[in-house]
Amino acid sequence: MNELRRAWLITLKDLRLEFRTGGRLLSMIAFVVLAGFLFAFALDQTAVAGRDVAAALTWLVILFASTAGAGRIFDPEEEEGAFRHLLLTPVSRPAIFLGKTAANLAVIWLVTALTFLSLTAFLDVRDQGSPAAHAAVLLPGTIGLAATGTFFGRMSRHSSLGDTLLPVLTFPLLVPVIFFGATSTARVFLERPWPEISGSVRLLWAFAVGSVFIGAALFRHVSDE
Amino acid sequence: MSTRGRITGLALVTTGVATILLVHWMVAFWVPNEASQGVVQRIFYIHVPAAWTTFLAVGIVAVASAVYLWLEDERADAAAVAAAEGALVFGAIMLITGPLWARVAWNTYWQWDPRLTLTLILWFTYLGYFLVRGSVVDPRRGKRFAAVVAVVGSLNIPLIHVSVEWFRSIHPEPTVLKPDGPTLPSDMLATLLTSLAGFTLLFLGLFTFRYAVERLRRRRPAVVSGETDEALT
Repeated sequence: MNELRRAWLITLKDLRLEFRTGGRLLSMIAFVVLAGFLFAFALDQTAVAGRDVAAALTWLVILFASTAGAGRIFDPEEEEGAFRHLLLTPVSRPAIFLGKTAANLAVIWLVTALTFLSLTAFLDVRDQGSPAAHAAVLLPGTIGLAATGTFFGRMSRHSSLGDTLLPVLTFPLLVPVIFFGATSTARVFLERPWPEISGSVRLLWAFAVGSVFIGAALFRHVSDE
Repeated sequence: MSTRGRITGLALVTTGVATILLVHWMVAFWVPNEASQGVVQRIFYIHVPAAWTTFLAVGIVAVASAVYLWLEDERADAAAVAAAEGALVFGAIMLITGPLWARVAWNTYWQWDPRLTLTLILWFTYLGYFLVRGSVVDPRRGKRFAAVVAVVGSLNIPLIHVSVEWFRSIHPEPTVLKPDGPTLPSDMLATLLTSLAGFTLLFLGLFTFRYAVERLRRRRPAVVSGETDEALT
């Protein structure tokens, strides 16, 4: 069985656990819906158009929800040393990292779709731009979020600061994702031509690929018990 | 701490402080005003050496942390901690003097310019380095995690260097480390190089002391934490 197949089995196991227990997913979904709800009240739409701030709010909600969720990626495996047993299986550390990142990514995509729908509805954004262009921007951005969250989520498990440590470590590293993601999404909302967006998307892909490779290479240093 | 280490550290710190005092004299009385910015440009002789020392410290942390992850050698971790503290302190000097200069030169304290933003990210990463180190209950794991944070953070250094060329940036381009040689007038270059030497010597002296203290602390943890006194009573 090759490593990618093993990683895929870990992804399926994590997603099965996620949907059976549902705690993490439900709390993330509740967070994004309530955030959109509160933004609708906080924003004076007679002074600021919803479309002008939708991109920034979308990325911030995705960032906060994914960070809150990242702190609990390894929760189901903490009981009775399940994670230790996973480490004892003949699966390489990079494969475990890739499997867990892919499961985290699936959850983030669900949250992203919901964030997008709730914010555009609550902020009354009617001209939303091309869905394919939005997906092309959100895909590399969320891969970067998922890989960084999974990597540092494992680290924060052992810290007495717990989930407080996670944003301190991840937010500075995620500045490029938020910057290039939010500016690209804003341009998609404004229906700007693709060449104006493609440069930022290339940088988002560079971050995504870099964070996956670096995470896979260094994961054994944060996962070994 | 060995006598040789103490003498080396003391010599480096003393020479560093003396050189920095000399730099202050040069900045106040010797070097001429820069034509376009006037007197405010003189903060350059503190800002640039602080930045250089920060990157030197970050480089040492990155190499020492990579060695620690590879060999788990306690000396490498002690060197990384000693240099990381230097990176935070000299980084803070750089981040304070930069906005003070920018307020006059750019009419604003801060711009979200790529180089400035990446440098701030680097500083926050090193703040995270100490938070990770201090908050992980198992000290061996804490050292390993901190080393990982340092290695990840150090990937920022080449980006900071090339950011001025890759992106539209308000930050001035390098005037000394250029393929076709420095473009600074000779008296300004002499002041800058003296300041670079002073900051580097001061950092290396503090690093030597801090490394020795860290090694001593690890060698005799019971004495440092006061447990010996409790055991005796």
